[in-house]
Amino acid sequence: MRMKLPAVLAAVPFALALSGASALAQSCPKTGGTLTYVYSLEPTSLSTIATSAVPVALISTKMYESLLNYEGPGLAPKPGLAESWTISDDRKTYTFKLRPGVTWHDGKPFTAEDVKFSVESIIRPYHSRGKTYFGDVAAVETPDPLTVVFRLKAPVPFFMNVFQAGEAPMMPKHGFDGIDVSTVAAVRAAPIMQNPVGTGPFRFKEWRKGSHITLERNPTYWRKGFPCLDQIVQRMMPDGASRAIALETGEVDLAPMSSLPEAEAQRLENMPSLEASQAGAEALGPNMWLEVNMRDKPLADLKVRQALSLALDRERIVDVIWYGQGKPARGPVVSGNAAFNKALKPYEYNPRKANQLLDEAGYPRGANGVRFKITQNFLPYGENWQRLAEYVRQELGKVGISVETQSADLGGWLKAVYTDWSFNLTSTFSHNYSDPSIGVERTFHSDFIRKGATFTNSMGYKNARVDELFRLAAREIDPVARQKQFDELQQILHDEMPVIFLMEMSYTHIWNRKVKGLITNGISMYSPWDAVSKD
Amino acid sequence: MSIGYVAVRLLQVIPSVLGIAVLNFALLHLAPGDAAEIIAAQSGGASKEFVEELRRSFGIDLPIYQQFFVYLGKLVSFDLGISNVQQRPVLELISERMPATLLLMLTSIGIAIVVGVLCGVVAAMRHRKWVDTCVSVLALLCYATPQFWLGLMLIVLFSVTLGVLPSGGMMTIGAQMGPFERALDIGRHLVLPALTLGLFYAAVYARLMRASMLEVYSSDFITTARAKGVSEGRISMKHAARNALLPVVTLGGVQIGHMLGGSILVETVFGWPGLGRLLFDGLLQRDLNLLLGILFISSILVVVCNLLVDLVYSLLDPRILAR
Amino acid sequence: MKGILHLWRRYRRNRGAVLGLVVLAAIVLAALFGPMIYTVDPFDMIGRPAQAPSARFPLGTDVTGRDMLAGLLHGARVSLLIGVAASVCATVIGVAVGAAAGYWGKTVDAVLMRLTDFFLTIPSFVLAVVIIAIFRPSLVSVMSAIAIVSWPPVARLARAEFMAHRDREYVQACRAMGMSDWRIAVRQILPNALPPVIVVSSLLVATAILTESGLSFLGLADPNVVSWGYMIGVGRTLLRTAWWMSAIPGIAILVTVLCINLVGEGLSDALNPKLQER
Repeated sequence: MRMKLPAVLAAVPFALALSGASALAQSCPKTGGTLTYVYSLEPTSLSTIATSAVPVALISTKMYESLLNYEGPGLAPKPGLAESWTISDDRKTYTFKLRPGVTWHDGKPFTAEDVKFSVESIIRPYHSRGKTYFGDVAAVETPDPLTVVFRLKAPVPFFMNVFQAGEAPMMPKHGFDGIDVSTVAAVRAAPIMQNPVGTGPFRFKEWRKGSHITLERNPTYWRKGFPCLDQIVQRMMPDGASRAIALETGEVDLAPMSSLPEAEAQRLENMPSLEASQAGAEALGPNMWLEVNMRDKPLADLKVRQALSLALDRERIVDVIWYGQGKPARGPVVSGNAAFNKALKPYEYNPRKANQLLDEAGYPRGANGVRFKITQNFLPYGENWQRLAEYVRQELGKVGISVETQSADLGGWLKAVYTDWSFNLTSTFSHNYSDPSIGVERTFHSDFIRKGATFTNSMGYKNARVDELFRLAAREIDPVARQKQFDELQQILHDEMPVIFLMEMSYTHIWNRKVKGLITNGISMYSPWDAVSKD
Repeated sequence: MSIGYVAVRLLQVIPSVLGIAVLNFALLHLAPGDAAEIIAAQSGGASKEFVEELRRSFGIDLPIYQQFFVYLGKLVSFDLGISNVQQRPVLELISERMPATLLLMLTSIGIAIVVGVLCGVVAAMRHRKWVDTCVSVLALLCYATPQFWLGLMLIVLFSVTLGVLPSGGMMTIGAQMGPFERALDIGRHLVLPALTLGLFYAAVYARLMRASMLEVYSSDFITTARAKGVSEGRISMKHAARNALLPVVTLGGVQIGHMLGGSILVETVFGWPGLGRLLFDGLLQRDLNLLLGILFISSILVVVCNLLVDLVYSLLDPRILAR
Repeated sequence: MKGILHLWRRYRRNRGAVLGLVVLAAIVLAALFGPMIYTVDPFDMIGRPAQAPSARFPLGTDVTGRDMLAGLLHGARVSLLIGVAASVCATVIGVAVGAAAGYWGKTVDAVLMRLTDFFLTIPSFVLAVVIIAIFRPSLVSVMSAIAIVSWPPVARLARAEFMAHRDREYVQACRAMGMSDWRIAVRQILPNALPPVIVVSSLLVATAILTESGLSFLGLADPNVVSWGYMIGVGRTLLRTAWWMSAIPGIAILVTVLCINLVGEGLSDALNPKLQER
C-alpha cells in the first residue's frame, strides 16, 4: 500500500548532497553548457518585488543577489555582496561591509547607496514580506560607499535570514531614475521589471513569451571563475505530462519545486539518468491544512473540529494523494524547521472516536445518516487539491457530515475565503519560511483577521495567549526563551485546531545527473547557481 | 454582388461589436475575485492596504459603469489597456502570441478543409460503397475522440515511443539555425498540434460535405441534369459539389471561434506559445484587461470571418441577392 | 403509431444505425441501472492506486485507488445527462431562432441574426469557460453553458434551410391556400428542414460530451460528481504508466459518440423521403 519515496531519497544526508558543490567550491568542475529547467507557469515579472510567485523567484534569483549567501538547511549566513558584517550586542545595529569592485550588469558600480535605496524605497514598501523584514528598521546609513548600517527600533531575531536573493534583492538605484517610486503602479511598470539589471552570475538575454526565458553568463561576475554555466533557460510548459516527457527525453535538465505531477515524479525518479531530492527547500517549509471558518456553528465547536481531524487519515493523504511526498503534520510549524516542538503528539485517525465526539457535541445522525451539512472549498492549485477535496468529502460523509464541494478559480476562491469569509472549510497551505515569525504568525494572530488580506487568519481565530506569544517571540533575542515561546504556541494551536493540520508538504526537485551542485541550502532553487555545473 | 449589400453588411457589424463589448464586459465583471487579489495571493499574501492600492492603480475600484465607459472609449482607439498581471499593453501581448496561433489554426484549417472536403466528396460519390464506409468510420472516430486525449496519445506514440517528433514547444530552443532549418524545425513542432486540432474539423467537414452532397444529389435539378445525360463526374463536381459547399462555408466561418476554443486545449497540451494559452493563463490569473482584450480581438476576428462567409455565400447562391 | 412503424422499417435498413441504437440502449441501461447493481462508491479510495484490471476491480483503480468501473457507471449518467440535456436545449433554441429568422426574414431576421452573431462571435469554448467560472462549476452551470454556446450553429443552419424553402413552389402553394405562417413553418417547412438539423443535433450531443470533457481537463466540472471527461482528466497524469485509466473513459466517450452519430444518421436517412426514393 505504501507509495513512499525510496528511503534513500527521503533521507539524503545533506552533506552528501552538498559534496562537490556550491559555495565551498573553489573552482568549477566543468565550465560551459546550458542548464534548462521547466516550470508550468509563465512568470509575470522578472523581479520578486512584483510577486514572489515560484516562477518569478526561480528566474530572478539568478540575476539579482542580496547581501548574503546561505549554506545548509538552516541557512547559515555566508559572505555575498557583503564581505563581512558586525552585529551590536543589543542586536539593534547591523553593519555590513560591501565587497569592492562589484558592478551591475550594465557596468555601473554597486554601492551602499543602492542597498539603502533597495531596502527603503523598493523592498520595504513593495515586497510582499517587506514590512515583516524591514518594518523595524529605523534608519539605513551609508557612511561610505562600501558600508551599510541598519539601525533597528527593536531587535529582529531573524534579521540575518532576510538577505536572500528572492526576499531582499538588491536593485540598482539608477534603474529607477525618472520613476516615481512612491506608487506601486509606477514601480511595477518600471522597465527594469522586464529587463533586469542585477549583480548576479547571470544576466538577462531574452524572454519569448509563452515559451522560454534565456539568461547568459555575466562575464564580470565578482566571483572569479564563476558561474560555471554559460546559459540558464527557463521553459514554460503548462501540461504536466509534457513536462515529464521533456525531462525524460533530456529536452530539459531540471524540474524544480515539485513542478512535475507527483505520479510522473514517482515514475521518473527511478530512471537511472535522473536524480530526485526533497532536500533543498527546508527554509520554505510548506504546511497544508483545512482552514475552518470558526464564526459559524457547528465548526466553532472544538469537539466537531477534533472529529474532523479524527475522521481523516493523514498517512493515506500523504501516501495516496501526494504519492508519499510529504508527511503527516503535527502542528503549525513543520518538523524540518528549527523551531519545531518535538513534544507534539501525532494526530490520531479514528473514525469511531470521531462519531462519538459528534454525538457528544449534540449532532446525532438524522434519518438519512446525516448529522449536518457543510460546504467545502479547495485551493485551486491543481489536481491533488481536488483529489484531497474528494477524499475529505468522502471520509466526512462516513462520519455523518455531508459535504458539498464548491470549485472556483483562484480569484473566486480568494474572494470566498479571504474577502467574504463565506466558506465552511477549505484546504490551503502556507510557507513557514525560515522563521515562524515570518510565516506562521499571519495565519493565527488575531491582528490578521482582516477582510481582503490573502492567506491570513480567515478562520476568525482569537486567542489572547497566542497573540501574546507571537508578540514576545518577534522580539526575543534569547534563543532558549524564544524556543519556549514557540513550543507553547505550537502546543496551543495543535490542541485548539483553528485549522485541521494535515500534511507537511515537500518540494521534490528532479534533475538529470549531468547537473551538479544544485542542492546547497534550504532555499536551493532560489539561490544564484553560480557553482552549478553540467557535464 | 452589389456595393450596397456589402455596405449594409458592414454597417451591421457595428451593433455586433458593441454587443460583444457589452457582453464581454458584463460577464467578466460578474465574476468574483479580481486581479489585485490574485497578485497578492501569488506573493504569499499581502496586506489589505496593498491590495487596495493595487486596485486603485488598475482602476478597478471605480464604479462599474465608469469602468465600462473608460473601456469603450479606449476600444475606439484600439487601446486595450495594460495587463493587470503582466504589466504590459494587452495589444502587445496579443500581437506577440497571434502569429503562433494563426499558424496553428491556418495549418489545422488547411488540413481540415483539404482532408475533410475531399473525403466528403469521395464518400458521397461512392455512397454506400466501402470507401464511403471507411471515410464515415474514420470521420466518426476522429470526431468522437477528445482533442486533448488525442494529443496526448499522439505524443506518446510519436514522441515517446517512436521518438520522431518533438513533444511540445514551437521550436528547438538555444540552437543556432539558418532561416530554412528554423522553418523546418517549426514545421516539425507544428505537426502534432496541427493534426490534433485539424483532424477533428476534418471529420466535421467530411460528414457535413457528404451529407450535403447527398442532399444535393437527391434534389430536382440534379435529377434533371442526369436526365439530360450530363456525366456523373460533371454532376458531382460542377453541380453537386458547388451547391454542397454552401453549408460547409457557413459552418467554416462559425468554426473559427470554436477552433480558438479547441486551441486552448491543444496549446495547453503541446506547450504551443499562442493566444489560446495566453487566454488560459489569463483565465487562471483573472487578468481582466487581458481577457477582455483577447475576447474582443478574437470576436472581431470571427465577425470579419462571418462577413467574408456571407459575401462568399452570396456569390455561391445568387438567389440571396435576387430577393 | 403506424408512422413510427414505417419509420422503423426504413431505419432498420441501415445496419450501422441499428447497431448504434442497440449499443446506445445498452449504455443508457448501464447508466440507469448500473450503479444500483454495482454499488461501489466511485469516490471511495478502496484499493491500491493505479491497479490494472483484475477480478476484484474489473476495470482497475484510478490514481487514488478508486474503482474505475464504479466511476464509469456513475460517469455514464453525468456524461449522457449533460450531453443530451445540453443538446436538446440548444436544438430547441436554435431551431426556434433560426426558423423565425429564416421564415419571416427582414426585421425579425436582422434582430435574431444579430443576437446569433453575438453568440457566434464570442469563441464558444471561452464563453463556456467564463460562464462556468462565474456561476461555479456544477451540473446545471456546465449544462447551461454548453447549451448557450451550442445553439447558434443550429440557428444558422435552420435559418438557411428555412430561407431556401420559404420561396419554393410548395410553400407558395400553401400560402395561396391561405394557410397560416405558423402552420406553414411548423407543418410544411420544418419536416423538410429537419433532416440536416437532426444530423447536426446528434453531433451536438457528441460535441457536448466532448466539450464537457475538455472543461474537465481544465478543471471546470462539478466536483461532486464523476463524469467520463473528469475521469480522463484524472487518468491523464498517469497516461503512460497506466494508460487504461484514460483509455477506458476515452473509449466510453468514443463508443457513445459513435453510436449517437450512427443513430442520428439512421434517423436522417429514415426521415429524408427523397433519399428514400432512390
